[in-house]
Amino acid sequence: MSDDLADRRGTETTVYQPAEDSLLLAEAAVEEVGSRARVLEVGTGSGYVAATVADEVGASVVGSDLNPYACAQARDRGVPVVRADLVSPFREDAFDAVLFNPPYLPRDEDAARDDWMEVALSGGETGREVVEPFLDDVGRVLAPEGFALLLVSTLTGVEEVVEYAGDRGFSAAAVREESHSFETLTVLKLWNN
Amino acid sequence: MKEDLVDITCCPLDKHDLDLDIEEREGDEILSGTLTCTECGETYPIEDGIPNLLPPDMREEAPA
Repeated sequence: MSDDLADRRGTETTVYQPAEDSLLLAEAAVEEVGSRARVLEVGTGSGYVAATVADEVGASVVGSDLNPYACAQARDRGVPVVRADLVSPFREDAFDAVLFNPPYLPRDEDAARDDWMEVALSGGETGREVVEPFLDDVGRVLAPEGFALLLVSTLTGVEEVVEYAGDRGFSAAAVREESHSFETLTVLKLWNN
Repeated sequence: MKEDLVDITCCPLDKHDLDLDIEEREGDEILSGTLTCTECGETYPIEDGIPNLLPPDMREEAPA
């Protein structure tokens, strides 16, 4: 494994560009999301997943990101975008689906970078430091029949994520799975019991 | 941003509704202005068409 998180993901250093995980989340979302759905993509980055779901399904998709450069790229791609911390500025029951490909790599102190790519990739010591606050609040913005699609990796700990979500009242099912050299990616569908 | 984005957003601090003030628009796209919380009065800027709804203490945070 490379010492440098960004080296593994190409040379881009300000905005995470679509990779295997983005493609898998987009595929799952295209299958699961209905054409009349209101959808939020958290951490939209380049806007690839949000734009794919809007184009292929016809759903109404909004993107949010912490990173101002990501917000600008997503907007250029035609995605309505809000600069936000997770789901904090969205209303109760506002969405039928919330999509999230979170930063999930466990932090490597030796390779830590103080830039936006680190923010896009690192899920803290456990790999779950962004996933957990997301799970704490996403139920609030989901409509009663709504669901979240969350991309997780074996590096993040799929069982731990499912257990944490369960404690917050979510049922979980894996709707997509794909193995790569150093991780298996899973798209979890989460809905309120 | 489009005007109807206000229907799904709220103040990140207290979750109350936001009032939209438009400074500059191009067709139905709002390029600059502010969103103000109807409860706590906190204002959030809209710049280059993007509303910045980060809580105020996170607004200056910039790793790059």
